[in-house]
Amino acid sequence: MATQVVKKPEARPAVIQPMIYKSVVTVYRIFAIVTLYLVLLGVLAYGFVMGFYALNTSWAAPVILSPADDKSLDFTEKLVTTRQTLEDLNVDQKKLQDGVAEMQKHRTALEGLEPELKTAIVREQQHNQIAGPQLMELDRQKQADNRKTLAVMAQVREVEAAIDKDLAAGLITKGDAATQRAALNQAQSSYTDSKIGEILLTDNVLEKTTVDTKSLDVLDKQAELISEIAQLDVAISVAQKQIYEETKQIASLRQALATAKQTPYYLSVSGGSAVYFAFVPYDNQSSAAIGSAVYDCYLNMVGCRKVGTVKQIFAGEEHAIHPIFRTDIRGFLIQMQLDHSESAKSKTVFLSRKPLFF
Amino acid sequence: MAPVLVWLILILCLLISLVKYTFALILKWSVPGATVKKDYTYQPTVSVLMPCFNEGKTVYETIESISNSNYPSEKFEVIAQDDCSVDDSHEWMLKAQRDFSNIRVRVGRNTVNSGKARTVCNALQHSVAELMISIDSDCIFHPDAIRELAACFSEPKIGSVGGRVGVRNPNENAITAIQTFIYYAAFQVYKVPENWTRSVGCISGCLFAIRRELLLEIEPKIRSRHWFGIPVNQGEDRFLTHQTLLRGYGTYINNDAVCWTTVPSTLADLFKQQLRWKRSIIRDLFYTLRTLPKHVWTLHPNTVLTLVLTPLGALLGLLVVLTMLSGNPTELAGPGPLIGYLAIAAILGWVIRKYSTREAVNNPLAFGAYLAWSVVSSLFLTTLALCTLDSRDWGTRVKEQEQEAVDGDASRQEA
Repeated sequence: MATQVVKKPEARPAVIQPMIYKSVVTVYRIFAIVTLYLVLLGVLAYGFVMGFYALNTSWAAPVILSPADDKSLDFTEKLVTTRQTLEDLNVDQKKLQDGVAEMQKHRTALEGLEPELKTAIVREQQHNQIAGPQLMELDRQKQADNRKTLAVMAQVREVEAAIDKDLAAGLITKGDAATQRAALNQAQSSYTDSKIGEILLTDNVLEKTTVDTKSLDVLDKQAELISEIAQLDVAISVAQKQIYEETKQIASLRQALATAKQTPYYLSVSGGSAVYFAFVPYDNQSSAAIGSAVYDCYLNMVGCRKVGTVKQIFAGEEHAIHPIFRTDIRGFLIQMQLDHSESAKSKTVFLSRKPLFF
Repeated sequence: MAPVLVWLILILCLLISLVKYTFALILKWSVPGATVKKDYTYQPTVSVLMPCFNEGKTVYETIESISNSNYPSEKFEVIAQDDCSVDDSHEWMLKAQRDFSNIRVRVGRNTVNSGKARTVCNALQHSVAELMISIDSDCIFHPDAIRELAACFSEPKIGSVGGRVGVRNPNENAITAIQTFIYYAAFQVYKVPENWTRSVGCISGCLFAIRRELLLEIEPKIRSRHWFGIPVNQGEDRFLTHQTLLRGYGTYINNDAVCWTTVPSTLADLFKQQLRWKRSIIRDLFYTLRTLPKHVWTLHPNTVLTLVLTPLGALLGLLVVLTMLSGNPTELAGPGPLIGYLAIAAILGWVIRKYSTREAVNNPLAFGAYLAWSVVSSLFLTTLALCTLDSRDWGTRVKEQEQEAVDGDASRQEA
């Protein structure tokens, strides 16, 4: 096998076409070189910006808080709700306090009644202890008297019969007979009264010597009184506890309101002059001090000028998107006193010092 | 608005890819028509065209592997064409010619450095065979490769057939491991839907078989191929495949025809190779867009979709990375994409170990590094490729000390 050499003749190009091609290629190459240098420049700039913001610890991102933005609206809504709740709690607490005072007054009155009732019961019991045996003795005497009277009443009936006989015999007149019969009826009636008296006395003795329904009623009243006092105690205790809780809640809400007044959102929604804020990530916390200078820079890093100072530092944690890395970051807000309001619209500002010393 | 649009396009592309890959797997496992009916009794005469530039001893090993082919030796020959190598490649070709007398080896040499595409055409001049198989001079071929490729041409409408390219050095380092996964997935999955419609968008130049009459028809186009007067020496495989399709022939990948290539093991080499491929893809996109009506009326919709979407994907990748960098750069470093890549690596690693032991990757987790590479690739390769379309080098095979020779030869050629 021999080595073979092959050469293919090139086609002769037209005259104009190569010129056009050459022009196109030249333009293309210029464009390509410029593009590639721009890409290179872009990559280097991108890398530098990334590195700069990864290492820099003094940047802050200005934030313009509008009363109409979601956070401010949410804040306003919460503020109004908190104030309303506070008002409601105050009214409720007043009501409860009045109620407790009323209940305590009532309780005092009931408490005053209870010993009187007890004294009356004791006094009655003591009286009954004395009167009961006496009445019992009198009752026994009465019964004996009545028994004797009953025997007499048998004689009265005989006398009545004798009156009829005497009248029939004409020994007495009708008038005498009527007078005698009236006397007999009176005796009969006296006996009946005496019998009634005996029964009443017996009844009275029963009342004085045993626990009857009247006594039970009095005891029931006494129990009711004690129960009512106990119920009042519970109600007062509950109301006082509620007052205590509400007092605590009111204190918390007042504290929350006081804190809210220290937030940038309150400053934002409360109107007045323009207020400027900036988000400071925790990594840059050391650069944020009240009174420290605020610098605004061209291209977010060079040609910096002082545009104001840090006026206030807010304690609450905030979340924001990193202006370069676009990641979620944690930090806090500061209030800036700006001499140049335009700087509030910059992507970043720098605190305390210029980032690149110029 | 623009980022949203980019994301929407990206999601659409991912959706298309998902459908395509799912469809590919369904086709692969359950549709017999997705594969060509091979006829091994069909044994046309074959010329193995081997263009070579600065491959050194590798070219000898390549010819040696072809000499071990089980295709009837009287029916095939090797035509090795040297493109003015400045190393000892030509000597190794001559040695192979002497050593492997069981097959016919022709050795030729260009008078001037002409690039791979024209070197293939020059090699073609010495051939009278019915079937041309263009190969890369740094590959090792399976003994069945020629037989497998030829068997597919029994289907008359098939114009070009490619083989599967395996990786010889999968475990050299993470770079080669990543490429092993990419190569395997590309041939075993990605090209399956294209195989079904006989419309593979790009047959690898490592192992590219084409009918003689078709190559002869396309040859003038290859020789006259230029970019505003600058000869185009790269991407002849994609160009040949494209031309085959436009002439109404089918293209197909036979995964049973296997060759093994040594993939770049350094980032610099990989970058050069990928840049060459990217240029080829972009040129092909411009060509497709310039003749889009012809494509739409002539080709299968799947083919048009492949020809347009593949290069558009490269441009889209650039936009996506730019959007991510201008939005949230750390999103690229998030665990989501990495987990996704590692999951793919785990599956592919298992499949390769089971079905292609020779390519088994010892550390599939290396595929996670592909995430970083895809960013670099999307951001720089596409831009660089767009800005260097006037390049005419051999890509990975140009060494610094050889550049002058290449430039000198090219000047002479233009003169």
